[in-house]
This record gives sequence, C-alpha cells and structure tokens, in this order.
Amino acid sequence: MRRSAAEIALSAGVLGLGAFATLVTAQLSGEGGYAGIGPNFIPAVVAAGLLVVGAWLLWEALAGGWRNRGAPEAGAEHAFNAPAFWWISAGLFAHMALIGWAGFVLAGAVLFACVARGFGSTRVLRDAALGLALSLAVFVFFVKLLNVNLPAGWLQPLLGSAGI
Amino acid sequence: METLNALLHGFAVALTPMNLMWGFIGVTVGTAVGVLPGVGPALTVAMLLPLTVKLDPTGALIMFAGIYYGAMFGGSTTTILLNTPGESASIATALEGNKMAKRGRAGPALATAAIGSFVAGSIATLLLTLLAPLVVEIALKFGPAEYFALMVFAFTTVAAVLGSSTSRGLASLFLGLLFGLVGIDSQTGAPRFAFGVPELLDGIDVVVLAVGLFAVGEALYMAAYTSRLPETMEKISGSLMMSKQDWKRSWPAWLRATGIGFPFGTIPAGGAEIPTFLSYAVEKKLSRYPEEFGKGAIEGVAGPEAANNASATGVLVPLLTLGIPTSATAAILLGAFQNYGIQPGPLLFQSQADLVWGLIASLYVGNVLLLILNLPLVGIWVKVLQIPRPMLYGGILVFATLGAYSLHQSWIDLLTLYVFGLLGFAMRRFDIPVAPAVIGLILGPLAETQFRRALSISQGDAMVFLTQPISATFLAVTALLVIVPWLLRRRATAQGRR
Repeated sequence: MRRSAAEIALSAGVLGLGAFATLVTAQLSGEGGYAGIGPNFIPAVVAAGLLVVGAWLLWEALAGGWRNRGAPEAGAEHAFNAPAFWWISAGLFAHMALIGWAGFVLAGAVLFACVARGFGSTRVLRDAALGLALSLAVFVFFVKLLNVNLPAGWLQPLLGSAGI
Repeated sequence: METLNALLHGFAVALTPMNLMWGFIGVTVGTAVGVLPGVGPALTVAMLLPLTVKLDPTGALIMFAGIYYGAMFGGSTTTILLNTPGESASIATALEGNKMAKRGRAGPALATAAIGSFVAGSIATLLLTLLAPLVVEIALKFGPAEYFALMVFAFTTVAAVLGSSTSRGLASLFLGLLFGLVGIDSQTGAPRFAFGVPELLDGIDVVVLAVGLFAVGEALYMAAYTSRLPETMEKISGSLMMSKQDWKRSWPAWLRATGIGFPFGTIPAGGAEIPTFLSYAVEKKLSRYPEEFGKGAIEGVAGPEAANNASATGVLVPLLTLGIPTSATAAILLGAFQNYGIQPGPLLFQSQADLVWGLIASLYVGNVLLLILNLPLVGIWVKVLQIPRPMLYGGILVFATLGAYSLHQSWIDLLTLYVFGLLGFAMRRFDIPVAPAVIGLILGPLAETQFRRALSISQGDAMVFLTQPISATFLAVTALLVIVPWLLRRRATAQGRR
C-alpha cells in the first residue's frame, strides 16, 4: 500500500475547487429564456464534475495510490531542490511587482537573473547583464516594430531620448 | 475541379511577397524556438502569439501555420541530439534517434527526420486539401445539437479514453472547463467567476493557460528536479547524407507512417502520441533488421517523425472544417483565430475562402521552406541547442511573461500565469495530462453556446440531442467508447481472479 500525501492533497484540492464552484454557481442567475436553462446550468455541470472526479481521485489516493502513474526514468530526476523552486518563484513575483513601476526591461533583467540562479548559475552580475540586453532587445522589437505597448518605467528618460 | 481552383487561388494568396515573407518568418522562428529543449510545438505557438497582434489575419495565420510546422521540425533535431523529447509525440523518435546519434549517425538521423517530415507533411497537406471540402459539405448540415454532440465526443476521447488514467484526464478536462467559464456569458452577458476583477471579465486567455502550464510549470519542474543533473549532447560527426541503404529503408517507413498519422490527426485522439508509437511498432515488426531496434535503427526515426508530421496536418482537418481542436496545439491555434474574431468552421470556407485556402497553400510552401531550412542549416540550430540551461529558461520566462502581460498591461495576468505555472508543475510531477485542460478551456465555451442554442431551438426539450440522427450517433459512439473498455477491463480482472 502506497499512500502519498501530495496525491491526497491534490485530490482534496480538486474537491475543494468543485465545492467553491458550487458556491459561486448558486449565486448565478437561472433565467433561461427559450432554452429553459440559464447561465448557471453548465457551471453546475462543471462543479458537479469536479466534485465527482475529486472524490474519485481521493478514493484512488487512499486505496493504493493514483492508478498507472508513470514513474520517472531512473536518473531522470533528483530530489526536490527547494531553493531552485523558490528562486524561480521569487523571480516571477519580483517581475510582477516591478513591471508596472520599474518597467519591462528592468523587471525582465531581474526575472532572468533569478531564473538563472534557480538553474544553478552563480554569476549573478553577468546573468543580470544578459537579461538586461535580452529584455532591451525584446522591448525595442515589440514596441518599435510590432507596436505592442510595454512600460518603459524608470528607463523612460533613457529610452525616450534614444527615440524608443 | 472546384477544389483545384480554390487551391490555385490559395497559392496566389500565399505567394504574394508579403505572405511569403510571413510564412518564411513563421517557419524560421518556429524552428528556432522549437529547437529549444523543453519547448514543444504548443508552447512555441503560445509564446509567439503576441507577435501577431498587429498583423492582418491572413498574414498572421500564415505565419502561425509556419510556426506550427517549424516547431515540429525543430523539435525533432532536439530529440535526436539531446534525448529530451519536448513532448510525448517525440518520445518514439528519441528511442532510435538518440541511439543513432550516439553511434555517430546523427547526420542521417536528422536527414531522415527532416525529409520524412517533408514527405509526410506534403502528402498529408494534399489529403487535407482533398478531404476538407468533403467534410465541409457534411458539416454544413450540422446544427447546434450535432456540434454539441461532436464536442462531447471530442472531450470524452481526449480526456477519458486516451491517456494513462481516466480520472486524471477528467480532472484536467474539468479544470479547463472551469477556467473556460470565467468571464462574460456569451448568451446573456452575465459575468461568471470574475469576482469583479476586470482582467477576469475578458475570460482566461488560452495563451496564459498554455504558457503557464508549459513554460512556467516546466521551468519550475526542471529547476526543482533536474537542474543538478549533467547534460549530454551528441555531436553531428560526419556527413548529413543518407546512404543508398538509408534511403531504401526510410521511404517505405515515411509512407506507412503518413497513412497511420494522418487519420489519427483527423479524429480527436489527443494529438500525435498514439500514431508515433504505432508507427514505431509497425516499423519494428516489418523491418528486415529488427535486431537494430534499440540500437539506432533508421526506420525507427523515419516512421515516428513522419507520423508526427502527418498527424499534425491531419489535426487541421477538424480544426478548419469544424472548428474543433483535437490537440493542445490546435486549441491554441484556435485561440489565434478567435483573436481575429474568426471562428473556423464550414462557413469559413465560403465567407473567407481567401484566408482558408491561402493558409492551406502556405502549408505546401512551408514544407518546402522547412526542408531547405533544416537540412543545410542544421548547424545553426545546433548552436541554439548549446545555450546553457540557466540562460535558456531565463529567456523562455522573459518571453512567457511578455505574452501574458501584453494582454491587458496588468500584473493580474502575471499572477494568473504563476498560478497556472504551479498547476503545470503539479500536473507534470503527478502525471496529469495537460492537453485536456487546454482543449477544455477553448472548446468548453463553444460547447456551452451550442448546447444552449440547441435547447433554444427545441424550446427547452433536451431530447433534441437524441432525436437528431447525427447527434444521437455521436453520443452513442461516445457512450460505447466509455463503456466497452470498462467492461473489457472488468472481464479481464474477473478472469484474472478465477
């Protein structure tokens, strides 16, 4: 018998989402016009589906574990590397916080450096410089050539005077 | 005759200098991004979607077709040299391709993959040209009830019948359907699951879901579980040329694989995974050199690669004629159409014949361009492969976030992206298929619309789905697909116990 806490947690997560969807659906209108069903009908079906599948997964997880789970090939994985996971998450959150304020280029450079750190690179300054160069190139390409609107942020004076 | 005229007209559209240029950019960028390890066709298409926001629809879709094909070609190079299949459809290629590369036969392996992809892609495009007008004829007779039944069939096969676990496939599908509910109800204008957040009122964009699952999820997974493992890349030593014997062994495999791959692409069978493995098995069985399998048999590369490309083209049949995506990549392509307010389906062949036939013609052109791009220039793509992983994933995430951010210029979309990234990480780790979620997101709202339309027409009589013969047939087949394997399994376990 193999019981995995993660499988149980994920199954419970699906069940929880189903319960949440049920609550939200309860507040939707059932006014249906000619069809006789309103905007709440399909959400109710989906909520019910999530509840059933969540219960099914939970049962599998408790009764011998999820079925037919492909095991990773030998040597294809190592133990969970928490710092790597958190470096990438931190990079994405820093990017979220910075992009509207410091601008696309600087946020991109920080993200790049954090992700590189997560993948084991230790040359932080070089990575940041590479990230800066890449984000700047992407910025110029998208803003100038494709007319996509991206925030210049703190670099506005610099980019503005360069005609970008 | 009518088809031929339409196709010639399509070539006139595809061969205008501007569209030719978009096609060329598409195949080049698609190959360059598709070559990156860990970046499959679905992610390539999703990441490059923001490139086209300001283009005219015909040019943009021609470019996308190029990206789609380019990503397939590029992916095979990575699989052969690095043995890191970017997606499940490349696993079969990796079996023999990487072994060939290890034995110093990387050149012929790449050549048979590229030429095989070209041959299969071209024949499959021809089949698409011939088949599409016929399917359109039938599809024109479909009403909302028929469409809904067909979509239920597609959901069921993609999520429940295929894959290693019905329960996990269904979980993925229902998650996708739930995400698809977010936003304004198309029938009544009522907001659903938006919680007053303006970014959510527009609904969840397929780009955010796909990029979150494939790029952010993959980056988190790779960093957490594989970043400390050493990497080996095979060198291309010697000639790219295939010997006479290589040719003799490759071409029957290409043709057989086309015959296997194309039909599988046209039915909702969840993409190219099944036909590639089927082709591998067939080649292994028919080969005169079965002892070479597992050590680098060229048929084992030629077959699966050709099957992969033929099925990728086959996928375009239901996508263009019915508006039904049968793989994750096709779902994202459908999202690209929707960005332009275009709904693929039989009517598109009449209302926007230029666009559809231009797109189909550009597939022929794209195949030729890709052959040129991939054989003599393979050295360039190998350089792309040598980007160290910290830089590679840094770059991928800069692009991934760009796509999400450019939707509303809002950090909320970036937060959504991260949440989908966590989901993708968990799905990857716990062997939950991703394609049903992506298909559910994009096809769910369409199915709901057809369902409610059908009921509006029938004045709320739900029997309409069973009294219309076509719709009833689809639903009956769907039910059989679920029940028969279950019964067989029960019988097998019952006999096992005896």
